Amino acid sequence: MKDIARQSMSIKVESMDLLNGQIKMEAHASATYLAMASWCEQNGFFTSAKFFFKQAEEEREHMMKIFNFLVDTGGNPISPEVTGINHDYSSIVDVFESTLEHEVKVTKSIHNIVKKAREAGDIATERFLDWFVMEQIEEENTIRDILDMIEVTGTEGVGLQMIDNQVANWIE
Amino acid sequence: MNVIFQSTYYTLYQANKERCFYLDFGQKTVRMSLCQLLSLRHKVMSIAIEDHFDSELNTHGFEILMLCNKEHLFILNTLELLDLKNLVENGFMAIGLSTKPMVVGQ
Ligand SMILES: [Fe+2]
Ligand SMILES: [Fe+2]
Repeated sequence: MKDIARQSMSIKVESMDLLNGQIKMEAHASATYLAMASWCEQNGFFTSAKFFFKQAEEEREHMMKIFNFLVDTGGNPISPEVTGINHDYSSIVDVFESTLEHEVKVTKSIHNIVKKAREAGDIATERFLDWFVMEQIEEENTIRDILDMIEVTGTEGVGLQMIDNQVANWIE
Repeated sequence: MNVIFQSTYYTLYQANKERCFYLDFGQKTVRMSLCQLLSLRHKVMSIAIEDHFDSELNTHGFEILMLCNKEHLFILNTLELLDLKNLVENGFMAIGLSTKPMVVGQ
């Protein structure tokens, strides 16, 4: 029997399902950062707003990277539904703490897909995710550095405005 | 045509020359590319079958399934859906695109 299925698609459907889940997660991250940008704009943290506008764009690029991988491997990429975006933050510190929390969640999810792909012998998916594993280290590190800077600067007096100004250092 | 998998109500075939698949629904046989089969899989897997056991969430216990870019329309009951789910899972295993579910805790 000819292997028509394998000739049309080069990854396992289980990997495809997990990657579609990741597409959704990246879309959710993009929308969350856009909400954070909106919050920053409304609360006078204009540099931080810029930072989050850029993050939102990057997350969309991540999503498209996975989407195109599913196209290239003959899979069925699903355009994600994004709901339940939080717009309420108690402070700029809360915004960055939520960001780190979110990034850690994304890292865990990517590591999980790598593990599952490895178990399934899906080398293509495993290798594809190498870039994401490294990217997550960088993203987590950026937010951790910003939180350290916030800690050192302090939120008293002009601290909040100093924090916002310094965020510029992390906008490439 | 080769039989890939047969469930209680449905049969999935592979047609080597045409490089496609056929799904026999009983009343009708539908020709499908792998993409269309993937799309069927997505639709079937997205159905909340639990709702069929709640008379408020799914009053009649039916599901409307549109296939191949709205070319075909099927109305399936709970048993038929469970059987179709079974066919999809085993069919994808049989064509080598799905790995067998891992036994947890072994
Ligand atoms: Fe991302
Ligand atoms: Fe990220």
